[in-house]
Amino acid sequence: MLQIDHISKSFPAGRGQRTMVLDDIVLNVDEGQSVGLVGESGSGKSTIIRCALGLAQPDSGRVSYSGIDVHRASRFDTLRFRRDVQLVFQDPYASLNPRMTVEELVGEGLLVHKLETTAAGRRARVVEMLRMVGLGEEALARYPRSFSGGQRQRIAIARAVVIRPKLLICDEPVSALDVSVQAQVINLLQDMQAQLGLGILFVAHDLAVVRHLCTTVAVLERGRIVEHGSREQVFDAPQHPYTKALLEAVPIPDPAIGRARRTERQLAT
Amino acid sequence: MTLVLPTASPRRKANFTAYELTVFGVVAALFLLALIGPMIAPADIYTSNMLETLFPPSAEHWLGTDDQGRDIFWRLIAGSQLSLFATVLVVILYSIIGMIVATLATVGPRWVDELLMRVTDIGLSLPGLVVSLGIATVLGPSLQSGIIALALTGWPMTARILRTTMRQTMEQPFVEGARILGVSRTRLMLKHVLPNSLDVLIVKWAGDISFTMLILAGLSFIGVGAQPPSPEWGAMISGARGNMSIAWWAVAAPGAAIVINAVAFALLADILQVRRDPSLRA
Amino acid sequence: MGVDTILTDGIIPAPVRRRPEALLQVEQLSIDIATRDANVRLVDNVSFGIGRGERVALVGESGSGKSVTAQALMRLNSRVKLSGRVNFDGKDLLSLSPSQMAAMRGQRMGMVFQDPMSSLDPLMTIGDQVAETLRIRGISKRNARQRALDVLDELKVERAAERLDSFPHEFSGGMRQRVVLAMALVGEPDLLIADEPTTALDVRVQERVLDLLDEISRRRSLAVLLITHDMGIVAGFADRVMVMYSGRIVEENEATLLFAEPQHPYTRGLLEAVPRADVTVDRLRSIPGAPPVPAARPSGCTFHPRCDRAMAICSSVEPGEAITPSGARVRCHLYGAG
Repeated sequence: MLQIDHISKSFPAGRGQRTMVLDDIVLNVDEGQSVGLVGESGSGKSTIIRCALGLAQPDSGRVSYSGIDVHRASRFDTLRFRRDVQLVFQDPYASLNPRMTVEELVGEGLLVHKLETTAAGRRARVVEMLRMVGLGEEALARYPRSFSGGQRQRIAIARAVVIRPKLLICDEPVSALDVSVQAQVINLLQDMQAQLGLGILFVAHDLAVVRHLCTTVAVLERGRIVEHGSREQVFDAPQHPYTKALLEAVPIPDPAIGRARRTERQLAT
Repeated sequence: MTLVLPTASPRRKANFTAYELTVFGVVAALFLLALIGPMIAPADIYTSNMLETLFPPSAEHWLGTDDQGRDIFWRLIAGSQLSLFATVLVVILYSIIGMIVATLATVGPRWVDELLMRVTDIGLSLPGLVVSLGIATVLGPSLQSGIIALALTGWPMTARILRTTMRQTMEQPFVEGARILGVSRTRLMLKHVLPNSLDVLIVKWAGDISFTMLILAGLSFIGVGAQPPSPEWGAMISGARGNMSIAWWAVAAPGAAIVINAVAFALLADILQVRRDPSLRA
Repeated sequence: MGVDTILTDGIIPAPVRRRPEALLQVEQLSIDIATRDANVRLVDNVSFGIGRGERVALVGESGSGKSVTAQALMRLNSRVKLSGRVNFDGKDLLSLSPSQMAAMRGQRMGMVFQDPMSSLDPLMTIGDQVAETLRIRGISKRNARQRALDVLDELKVERAAERLDSFPHEFSGGMRQRVVLAMALVGEPDLLIADEPTTALDVRVQERVLDLLDEISRRRSLAVLLITHDMGIVAGFADRVMVMYSGRIVEENEATLLFAEPQHPYTRGLLEAVPRADVTVDRLRSIPGAPPVPAARPSGCTFHPRCDRAMAICSSVEPGEAITPSGARVRCHLYGAG
C-alpha cells in the first residue's frame, strides 16, 4: 500500500559538504499490517515520516501510495492521499489547535473531505468516534487545554481516524505520556487496527513498544535500515550488531536480568 | 518524562488586582463617555456667544469658555466621541491592512513574501507623521483625510509583527497536522494560523490607540486634520493657541484630555502585555 | 579495578539484605507551595532512609512529587515550604543556614538533573566547571584541575586531559551528562541525587552512564538516590525501591522483592502496563485514568479512582502504613493497618 522505494536524502553541512540523512531506504506497509521503525535520536526517523507524508522531498527514490507517486501527484490524487494516510504526533500538547473545540477538531476531516456535509451528521460521527476512543459526548464543546495528556492523545487519534484512513503513521505517540497512561493509548491503537483494518507505521525509539505493537520491524541506524524482518526474527534472533547492541541496552524490569547483564558487561571491559 | 508537561487545569481564574481594575474602569468610562457624550452635551456648544468669550474656570463653566464663548468642559465631552472613535477607526483600518499583508506574505510564494516585506520595510523607514501630513494635505484638510492618512501609514509595524508570529505559528505541529488532514490553504490560514497569532496584536492595539490619539491630535493641531469649529481635541488646541497668553485653560484642558486618554490606554497595553507574559511582572 | 569490586561481592552482587548504617533519614517530610488561590500540598508526610553506599530508587510519574522531594533534600527550591525532618549524617538539613547548606551541597551531597545542558555554563571550560566546587573550598588551581582530571578519567571521558579546556557545546549528550556527573562527584560526596539522569539519552548511552554510576557507587561506597519514571532502569540498578504516587510513598521494598511480589495495586499496575522488549504479550493491562494533579488530589487513598481493587473504605480513609510478609512497607487498605 505505502511503498518507500530507495529514497535517499542529504542536507548541506557547510563548506560544500553534505550529510547523508537517509541512505537508500526501502520500506513497505501493506493493508492492515503493522510495521515498526526503530531508531535512536538523529537516526533519520522524522525525515522518513516527512518524506512518506509528502512534506519533504527525497533527493532520489520515490514514495508511492496505492500507485500514486506522493511527490508528483495531481490535486485530486493528493486529496485522496491526504484522506487515506494520517499521522499521530508525539506531543499531544502541540498537535491540537488550542482554539478549536473537540467537536471542530475531530469533525474537521469530515468537513474538509466532504464526508459529512451537515453539521448534525458530523456531530453524530464525531460522537461515535469519541466513544470509540473512550471519551463521552460531554467532550464536544471543550477545548484541548482541559484534557490530560492521555485524553489529548485519544482526541488526536480520533481526529486522524474519523475519516477512516487506510494507514496511520504514529510518531512516538506514547513517549510524552505518563507511564501508567501509555498502555491505554497502546491498547487503543491495537483496537483501532483490529476493528478498522488499519495499516500502522509505528516510528519509535522504544523497542519494547515496537515489539508489542508491530509484526514487522525495521531498525534504522544513522539513515540506513540495518535490519528488517518479522518481530520474532528481529527481537529473538537479531543479526546485525547494532540491533543486538540496542536490544542488550533496553532496560528490562527484572532485577535478576538487569544485574546479570551489568556484571557481564563490567567483566567484559 | 522527556517533556515537562503543563497539567490540565480548570479555566484560569482572572483575579485582577485593584490597580488593574482601576485602569479597566477608567478605559471603560472613557468609552462610555465617548458613546453618550454628544447626547448629554447642551446644544449651545456649537454656537458662539460673544458675550462670554474666554471666561476663566468657574462654577458655571467648569473649565472656562473659549474665544467663541463656548463651554470648554462640554466641548471636551462632546469631542471625546470624535477623538476616541476616529483613533479606534484608524487602528482598525490599519490592522486590517496589516493582517492582509501578513497573511499574503505567509501563504504566498517566496517572492510575494519578499516583495511585501520590502514594501513594509520602506513603510517602516519613512517618517510616518511627515508622510501622513503630506497625504492629508493632498486629500484636503479634514478629519477624514487625517484618518485615511494615518491608516495608510500605520500598518507596516502590524504587518511585520504579525508576519513574524504567523511564521512561528506555521511551525507548530497542529498546523502541520491540518495540512496532513488535507485542509485547504484558506482554511489553514483562517482557522489555524491567524487565530493563533492574533494574541500579539491584542496587546499592541491598546498601545496603538494611545499613540494614534496623540498623532491624530497632532495632525489637527497642525491644521491638516479636523477643522475648527469641530470639538475634536487637537482642533480645539489649535483654535485656542492664539490666546494662550490670556486664556491658558482653553489650551490646557483639551491637552489634559488627550494625555488622560493616551496614558489610560498605555497602561492598559502594559497590563495586557504582562498578563500575556507573566515573566515580565516585576 | 571495577572487576575487583565486583568480585569481592560475588559475580552477581547479591541484593543488600542488611540495613546499612543510615546516612540520610527523612521523617514526615511535607512540601507545600502557596499559589495565588490556595496552599497546595505537593508531598505529603513522606519518610524514608538511605544507608551509606546504598542505591535507592524513587519511582513516580508526573505530579507524584518525586522531583520536588529531591530538590527539597538539597533545599534547592525556595518557593516551597518544607516541614518535617531531614537528617543527614547527624545534621538536620532543614535547620541549616543557607551558607551551611551551600557547603553541604558542594561537599557532602551532589545532584545531577535530566538535562545536562541546563547545569552547564556554555561560556566556561569543562575543566573550570568541574573544578569549581573545589576552588570555592579554597583548593589551589593546580590541585583542583588535577582532581577534575581524575574524576573525568574515572568517568571514562576519553582524552580527558585534552578536553579540560573545551566547552560544553563540543560534547555529545552522553559526554555532557558525564561532565555533570563529574561536577557532582569531584567533591567526593556521600550522597548523589540523580533526577532522571538518563531520560534524555538514547538507550545505549543510558546504559553506559548507569554502568559508570554503578561502578563508582560501589568503589566509593557512594549512596545514590535515583529518581525516575522508568521501572526498567530501576531493576538493574537499585538495591531498594520506593514507589511514589500523588505525593505519597505507596510502597517500598528491596528491589528483588518489589519486582517479584509487588504489593500495592499501583505498583502491580505499573509493572504490567509497561511492555517488555524480551517477551511478547497479547495485551497490556492498563491502569484507567490519569495521575491526579496535586491541587485536585482524590480523598482517602489517592489511587482509589484508578484502582481495580478499590473498596468502600478507600475513598474516605487514607490508608496507614503496613508491613507485608514479603517485607514491603505499603500504604493500602488491602493490607490491614488503618
